[in-house]
Amino acid sequence: MASGLMLAPSIIFLAVCSIYPFIWIFRYVLYNYDGIPAHTRFTGMRNITNMFADATFWGSVGTTFEYALWKLLFIIPLALLMAVLLNQKLRGSGFFRGVFFMPTVISSSISGMIFTFIFATGNGILNGILQSVGIVNAPVGWLTDTSVVMASVIIMSVWAGFGNYMLYFVTGMTSISEDVYESSRIDGANAVQTFFKITLPMLSPVLKVVLMLAITGAFKDYEAIMVLTNGGPGTRTNVMFLYIYNLIFGTGSNATRQIGYGALLSLMAAVIVGAVTIIYNLVAKKLDDVV
Amino acid sequence: MAKNRAQIVYSPKQKAIRAVLWVLLAIVAFLVIFPVLYIVFGSFKENQELLVGGSDIFPQKWIIQNYIDAWNQANFAVYTKNSLFLSIGVMLISLVVASMAGYVFSRKTFPGKEIIYGIFTAFMFINVGSVSLRPLYELATKVKLNTSLWPVVLFSAGGGQATYIFLCRGYVNSVPRELDEAGRIDGCGFFGIYARIVLPMLKPVMATIAILSFRQGWNDYILPRVFTMTNDSLRPLTVGVNMLKNAGDGAAAWNIMFAGATIAIIPILVVFICFSRYFMGGLTAGAVKG
Repeated sequence: MASGLMLAPSIIFLAVCSIYPFIWIFRYVLYNYDGIPAHTRFTGMRNITNMFADATFWGSVGTTFEYALWKLLFIIPLALLMAVLLNQKLRGSGFFRGVFFMPTVISSSISGMIFTFIFATGNGILNGILQSVGIVNAPVGWLTDTSVVMASVIIMSVWAGFGNYMLYFVTGMTSISEDVYESSRIDGANAVQTFFKITLPMLSPVLKVVLMLAITGAFKDYEAIMVLTNGGPGTRTNVMFLYIYNLIFGTGSNATRQIGYGALLSLMAAVIVGAVTIIYNLVAKKLDDVV
Repeated sequence: MAKNRAQIVYSPKQKAIRAVLWVLLAIVAFLVIFPVLYIVFGSFKENQELLVGGSDIFPQKWIIQNYIDAWNQANFAVYTKNSLFLSIGVMLISLVVASMAGYVFSRKTFPGKEIIYGIFTAFMFINVGSVSLRPLYELATKVKLNTSLWPVVLFSAGGGQATYIFLCRGYVNSVPRELDEAGRIDGCGFFGIYARIVLPMLKPVMATIAILSFRQGWNDYILPRVFTMTNDSLRPLTVGVNMLKNAGDGAAAWNIMFAGATIAIIPILVVFICFSRYFMGGLTAGAVKG
């Protein structure tokens, strides 16, 4: 009796905040719904055929893959390198660790905002610094030039997130026994050999988890991108969850709001993330067998 | 044996290498800290100076007028109050709900327990993005809760509870059952054992959950944004400061936005500096047990 009452709040939360919205999505997948209940119309397979013909959506899926790939390419090596350096127990390691972790406690909306100011073309400080030291002559359109805006987004998201993964690596490394390093030193291994022959292999379980978190995390990012570029210029940085957000909560009129269609795309996006996760797990397993 | 490490004597070459590595760490640390310094120092600049730009992060002339304006004219007093309400609300609800659920999951066996636990886990991995906020928003409107911040508090706490429940359950598992037994002999019921024996033992994990859930409430953006779309007086700092950016007079209000962003990050940074142990401990504990 007491236990039932004590469990009740969490069960109610689970039902209302997780299960109910999930079922609700399926309710609207085949409907045209703009937020006004009286307008709701069953449209059969139209949402589905629209989805396959929606170049903007598939473009945003492509953008998501591009974004995730670049982000991972920089964030994982940086997090790993910083973790290795911190593991050398240099003076001030604790302080550095705290500094690297700090951006992760800042709201993604505020990080997006800070970088809007930094990357501003005319009066942003990045262009100010680059120009004053003479690296560029004319201001770079960090957020307006389609050829560099993806780099700006990646810089922001690496800044905001690498501290998390660094901390996982640091924690993983502290569990590697000191004796192993001791014996490798006696055998005359240099730092690079030690890293590739000892640290990395012994870290591989942690690395696999971190990669998994980083991949799913990168595919789900959109809050900070929304603040920084809102998908622009054009659709250059329009990742799929941002596109979907604007379909469902867009600031435009009700006429442009497509909630039923957005619900369908959300499911598709969830399936895409799920498929990527599964493929990653298969690859990770294969690598395990090889090594 | 690891304790001996401090006494290792480095050769001159090793010392040089370690100095280089230290410099590398310092450079990255500087790059990481720079954006925060830029926004904090920038908030003391005159708007004119911000609009001109340049490469100097220190103000030519230090002023606090931006904060006064943000506080009085741009509604930041209200935003700050809302942010505090939101984060403290999410924190208190998370603590109560997660500690009770974790205790029951750890100590009680009942039919369907594994299934319920499985559903909790499954929904940690199912992520359909912002669409799930739509039904919640309509639900709040239907029960006339949309004129207060309560639905945001409740839905935020409800959405984040799974991790905290797992943390609590893992920790309660490590509390010896003999203590429950002792409590029972002394006449405590199931709830009494929780309140008098288990809860006091949970202090470390409760501290972690308090910190993580406070941060969650303080930093929430999409959820309060959706719920306060038409109601400026309910907006927390994260939403309020960003709405200023979208308002169109963007360029004109840089000084207010700098001050607003600073107001939004300083409290959470202070909490982080004071309790960094719990922030970092919570991350890894969640990964292992979740």
